[in-house]
Amino acid sequence: MSRARFLPAVVFFGLLLTLPWWLRDAYLQQIVFRVVIFAILGIAWNLVGGYAGQLSLGHVAYFGIGAYSVALFHETWDWNPWLGTLAGVVLACLAALLIGSLTFRLRGPYFVLSTIAAAEILRLLALNLSFTHGAIGMIAPGFFEEPNGDRKTYYAALPLLFLAFALTVWTHRSRFGYYLRAIRENEDTAMAVGINPAVEKLKALLFSAALVAAAGALYAGVFQFIGPDSVLAIDMSVQMALIAMLGGAATVWGPIVGAVVLTVAAEALKTYLERAHTFFYGLLLVLVVLFLPGGLVSIAKQRWFRRTAPRAQAA
Amino acid sequence: MSSEVLLEVEAITAFYGDFQALFGLSFQVRTAEVVALLGGNGAGKTTCLRVISGLLRPKSGRVRFLGQDITGLSPAEIVDLGIAHVPEGRQLFPEMSVEENLWLGSYLPRARKRRRENVARMFALFPRLAERRRQVAGTLSGGEQQMVAIARGMMSEPKLLLLDEPSLGLSPKLTEQTLAAVRELSKVVTVLIVEQKVMEGLEIADRGYVIENGKLVTEGAAAVLVADKGIREAYLGL
Repeated sequence: MSRARFLPAVVFFGLLLTLPWWLRDAYLQQIVFRVVIFAILGIAWNLVGGYAGQLSLGHVAYFGIGAYSVALFHETWDWNPWLGTLAGVVLACLAALLIGSLTFRLRGPYFVLSTIAAAEILRLLALNLSFTHGAIGMIAPGFFEEPNGDRKTYYAALPLLFLAFALTVWTHRSRFGYYLRAIRENEDTAMAVGINPAVEKLKALLFSAALVAAAGALYAGVFQFIGPDSVLAIDMSVQMALIAMLGGAATVWGPIVGAVVLTVAAEALKTYLERAHTFFYGLLLVLVVLFLPGGLVSIAKQRWFRRTAPRAQAA
Repeated sequence: MSSEVLLEVEAITAFYGDFQALFGLSFQVRTAEVVALLGGNGAGKTTCLRVISGLLRPKSGRVRFLGQDITGLSPAEIVDLGIAHVPEGRQLFPEMSVEENLWLGSYLPRARKRRRENVARMFALFPRLAERRRQVAGTLSGGEQQMVAIARGMMSEPKLLLLDEPSLGLSPKLTEQTLAAVRELSKVVTVLIVEQKVMEGLEIADRGYVIENGKLVTEGAAAVLVADKGIREAYLGL
């Protein structure tokens, strides 16, 4: 492995670390923060939806668990948000074990529908239980005192992004990653060579759910107000999938590219789209699946290396 | 011929939902043999292999391997005991390279240690694959894909290789080449092969079992079956 391969990562994280010095505009800084959060979500989704090929559209469940944990444990037992985040990650992993062991028995569209159903159950619970205050939502504590609370939260998010990125690099090269790809390409054959798809898929989901829950907790800490429609709505699940697929599913850089492009585009179009953004995401998802199955990263690869990986038809 | 019974299938019945595919099927494979399961479409040959490798649970009956009851074990446990299943239709990992497909064949720790040697062995047996080691498996020709599938099965260092219709969809020439490779392999591993091409199957087999509608019709030494008038009429159209 040549050193040059690490260069993009060094530049990327270097830019993020030095952000306040080269980007002074608070509004633009806020957009970068959102890119970071969505990149974490896209990367986390990519482990399950990209590498393992399990198209979950219920990942918002883990996001909501993370966000609600921060708010709930603060309100009930006055826990600080860090402890709340930890509790959220643990709870999300438990939920992932339960949801995964049920939904991973299914394949194709049935799997997709069952993940949506699982997330919807959580949304309806949050909407109807008294201690989550239903549609009114909850106040979440900030992670840091003002002044500069947002900047500190941004620096708290960067290690999480780095962790998610490192996990992807490891997955991409490790045996574990091969097993996930084998399952994606042919689950029956994966079983025939001795891989246990149920176990490998569950491992991927645990990593994924933990990252998504931590991102959800950060989101709660920054926006300090959460509700079923903001942290448990299906749009967020679709966005996670879209970020990874737009950038390039099962690639290291895909979700990051996807997060940058989608966040910037959504921001630019916000005034025109208003409530139509879900339509926009849906349309984009269809277009990517139809015309750009390898994502934006695949275009870059073709352009820069003049080397197209021959795409195989399923045998 | 060695006399040790390697695999013993005892009165297995199997269902797909309400449809019964196997009706009390029994047969044996001895060490170092090549045994062919023969029969037409839908006779239950593939089902039989799926039961042996743990991909399908039989409703009743037993499968014993080296004297151990393996009925109901997981596919992973069965691979670990030394049975490799090469499924029908060259089920590869189509977007991975030839080499990666082979690596995945040595998933189990037992075989992982000798992965390099085993890859080299398979490349020696199938020189064509060595030339194309970095090529994406889905872009190979049918015959080459079958070689990858067989080589991948061998990567787990099996004692028993289950081959499901290795000649499916191959030209007569490629069928001949593939079966020649199987015969070569049979020097180091016991083979249970399923074939619809009855004549070709019997050519490389020591013994054969003819199955029809999930039941055993007849069995015997390959040379005897080839000469059998009933079989020639039923399956060879002679």
